Amino acid sequence: MRISTAALHNAAILQITDRTAALVKTQNQLASGKRIVTPADDPTGAVQALGLDRALAQSQQYGRNADAAKSRLSFEEQALADTTTLLDRVRVLALQANSGALDSVGRQSIATELQTRLGELVDIANRRDGNGEYLFSGYATSTQPFALSGGGATYSGDQGVRLLQTSDNQKIADGHPGSTVFMDIPQGNGTFVTGVGAANTGSGIIDAGSVTDRSAWVPDTYTISFTSETTYDVLDSSSNVVASGTYAPDGAIAFNGIQVQLSGAPAAGDTFTVTPSGKQDIFTTISNLITTLGRPADTDADNARFVTEIGTALAQLDRTQEHISTVRAEVGGRLSVLDSAADTRADRELDLQTALGSLRDLDYADAIARLNMQLTGLQAAQQSYTKISQLSLFNYI
Amino acid sequence: MATNFLSTGISGLLAFQRALDTTSHNIANVGTEGYSRQRTEFLTRPATLTGNGYVGNGVEIATTRRIYDDLLAGQVRTSSSTFSSMDTFATYVNRVNNLFSDTTTGLSATLQKFVNALQDVTNNPSSIASRQVLLSEAGGLTDRLKSYDAQLATFDQQVESQLKSEATEISTLASSIAQLNQEITNSQARFGQPANDLLDQRDHLIDQLSTHIDVSTVAQGDGSVNVFIGTGQALVVGATASKVTTVADAYDATRHGIGIIQPGGNTVNVTGSMSGGTLGGLLDFRSHVLDPARNALGRISVALADVMNEQHREGIDLNGALGGDFFGIGAPTVLGNTANTGGATVTASIADAGALTEANYYLEKTATGWSLKRDDTGASITLSGTGTAADPFTADGLSIVIGGTAANTGDRFLIQPTRSATAGLAVLVTDPGKIAAAAPIRTEAAAANTGSGKISAGTVVDASDPALRSTVTIQFTDATHYTVNGAGSFTYTSGSPITINGWQVEISGAPAAGDAFTIKDNSGGTGDNRNAQALVDSLNAKVLDSGTTSINDATTRLIGGIGVTARQAQASRDAQSVIKQEAVDARDSVSGVNLDEEAANMLRYQQAYQAAAQIISVANTLFDSLLAATRR
Repeated sequence: MRISTAALHNAAILQITDRTAALVKTQNQLASGKRIVTPADDPTGAVQALGLDRALAQSQQYGRNADAAKSRLSFEEQALADTTTLLDRVRVLALQANSGALDSVGRQSIATELQTRLGELVDIANRRDGNGEYLFSGYATSTQPFALSGGGATYSGDQGVRLLQTSDNQKIADGHPGSTVFMDIPQGNGTFVTGVGAANTGSGIIDAGSVTDRSAWVPDTYTISFTSETTYDVLDSSSNVVASGTYAPDGAIAFNGIQVQLSGAPAAGDTFTVTPSGKQDIFTTISNLITTLGRPADTDADNARFVTEIGTALAQLDRTQEHISTVRAEVGGRLSVLDSAADTRADRELDLQTALGSLRDLDYADAIARLNMQLTGLQAAQQSYTKISQLSLFNYI
Repeated sequence: MATNFLSTGISGLLAFQRALDTTSHNIANVGTEGYSRQRTEFLTRPATLTGNGYVGNGVEIATTRRIYDDLLAGQVRTSSSTFSSMDTFATYVNRVNNLFSDTTTGLSATLQKFVNALQDVTNNPSSIASRQVLLSEAGGLTDRLKSYDAQLATFDQQVESQLKSEATEISTLASSIAQLNQEITNSQARFGQPANDLLDQRDHLIDQLSTHIDVSTVAQGDGSVNVFIGTGQALVVGATASKVTTVADAYDATRHGIGIIQPGGNTVNVTGSMSGGTLGGLLDFRSHVLDPARNALGRISVALADVMNEQHREGIDLNGALGGDFFGIGAPTVLGNTANTGGATVTASIADAGALTEANYYLEKTATGWSLKRDDTGASITLSGTGTAADPFTADGLSIVIGGTAANTGDRFLIQPTRSATAGLAVLVTDPGKIAAAAPIRTEAAAANTGSGKISAGTVVDASDPALRSTVTIQFTDATHYTVNGAGSFTYTSGSPITINGWQVEISGAPAAGDAFTIKDNSGGTGDNRNAQALVDSLNAKVLDSGTTSINDATTRLIGGIGVTARQAQASRDAQSVIKQEAVDARDSVSGVNLDEEAANMLRYQQAYQAAAQIISVANTLFDSLLAATRR
């Protein structure tokens, strides 16, 4: 083919320009360390990288959320641990009071300590987290949740539970409302609660009782009324007799799927009550104990009542301990879920970073090899051009 | 006798001198753009008949003509027109591509930062600091979106101004071509010889014209060439050139197309039939990349504002007040055609961001009513409603109201649903306390409840219900029935939603008779993060394209789409560059000057010239010897 002189030069210059452009691109990649400098370099890869970037940022945010949840849950865990310690002390004091060796002065000193403990417990229930938010007030984190009043405490928070997102499809509660922790504790044995009639004159004592057949239990307020020192009737709230029998000390009285045990010597006309369990807050439990300790202990009946009430209080304290333990177990469970989620997240972030790296980051070995090849190519193009361009027939004329 | 070969020698001398002239002309023009090499063609002079046969009389010059192939020149024009169209397109697309290239400060990353800031508010809703960060990130996000939109608007202005200069350039080239046509016709008519250099000049101008726009040429018998652009619009006819100018769009006076001023003075808008060349590339870029990108960006802004505002209105702020709009957004634009004769006015608003498309629409008054067509596909869209304020037309997420006086059949309006959205984007919440992170209601189970019934936290379904935050007590009369505020008797199904006063709760489990649940105002719930979490959820949800695309999907699609277009444009440009180079090489292999060839020619003609001179010298010697012989 005939080649025009201009075409010869143009072609060579075009080649050199193209090679320079390719060289500049490689240099740009080397300087930035990135394989994809603009989306056009690899549109699919760029979009994938954007997705991975987002997933990574999201995962890191989930980490922050988890940290926030963990910090609050740790505060809660500490408060619950302190509550448990406090309740242990209250239980020891109650047992001490129950030993029978104490006179009213001794009881009074126990009552005084209990009063202090009660104040301490309210302080625990009113604790704040690292951000100054109340731990146990539900959504109303700027409202002090608990205040002592009369025979217990009032709760000014709500039942809200805050959920924090810790992965795409996991939301973890960062606490419990105070009502759940300190207020909603089932009374007695969880089904019913026993009591001693205020006007009793005998020394009869009733225990906390137990359920023998849950299906036969009919929730109602029952009165065990002694018609003589040895016979009793069990009346329901409409004064119908549901059971009656002969009293033997330490014998069980059973009706409607439950049984209670009476001991001591009840007098005729004495009454004992069985009422369905409601809920009792922890503050009322301690307050009741203080009230019991302040009662006169002069007569047999007083004593019987004292023993029964201390028994009820101890049973209630056990319930409360159990309840707090359940809440603690839940907090512990959440903390461990957070820990394992953190591990999963770390693995996933590593995967994401690896994927992102292989997608977007430059393979230096490959790029440098390419750079050298392109350099050689450009040099060859330049050298051959200078040689060829010198060729001319005019040189020989 | 001797005179004969003397004149033969002189004829050779003259011919080779002319050939050397042409060779030196070729050498001198080796670097001239558009120059075609020329060749002097010789013709044997008619011989003289003598008694003993024909005796040759030497050589004469037939003509000097340029070596030029119309077909090859046509191929160069076609390929360079396509190339410069692709080149312009690729250059502009690449600028858009570079605009979206930054991954650390890019759209996707900024959006994620905003969502993360929102998550931080869910972690600590009562903290003013984290709320302040959210407002800053919201500002950052709107700034980012607006700066993209502003950049795209700048590209639009650059396209506008380049279109103007293209029109001027084309007009100038056209008038030069017409003038050269005139000169060529005159010259060739007068001398009967090809006006080589004028032809080269004119053809080179047509080459140049072809880089601006597609051209087709028709050669005339008198040496002139008629030039047509687009789909056959005459640009140059003989010695007359038309003028090309920019004309304002019938809907949008700020936007221009291309028009041809006809001999009568009328300007005809021919934008739709223009293709190829820089002009075609610009128009292509504007309609296929720039406008869709701005619309897509606008739709992202609309979705962002819509999703945030809707959810934000369902929450309450730190002061217990219901949230207002979080983002402000630009309304759809409606532009009337300048040819409209009726007095109707059209207003459009966004009714459902989820059904919104990235397209523009044409609304036209027909004999029977109104019709709506998509700009990009031309598809007809069914309008529901009657177009009054009380019952607006709705279609593709738009709500259209016709006002003013009656429209006439044929009146048309251009609706751009999302074009101006981004420009109007603003953060309306300035007080961090006014971020509605909490839900307006909370639920409670009564402490005395004996059953195992549990109540959900509740969600808002209609924040505008006036009784939304009134206290409502749901009390069970038995295990399967409940009253609301002491009235009625409703059947209870565990887990099924109960909707009253604009909220919705679920009660599950086995509540006992007498159990009560209360739904009440959540004022004071400063630690409640439910609405902030709902904001996060709805930002991550697939809200666009009838629930198939999330806001983030839309951003990556926009960025990825531009990346793909840029890559394709570069690849096509590179491929076309090779095709164009091949066409140029093919033409140059015929028309281009090769210096070696010229050197050889020079030697050849030089030697021939010397030989012819030698003949004269011989003739001289012969005369001398003849004279010497006769002198004695």
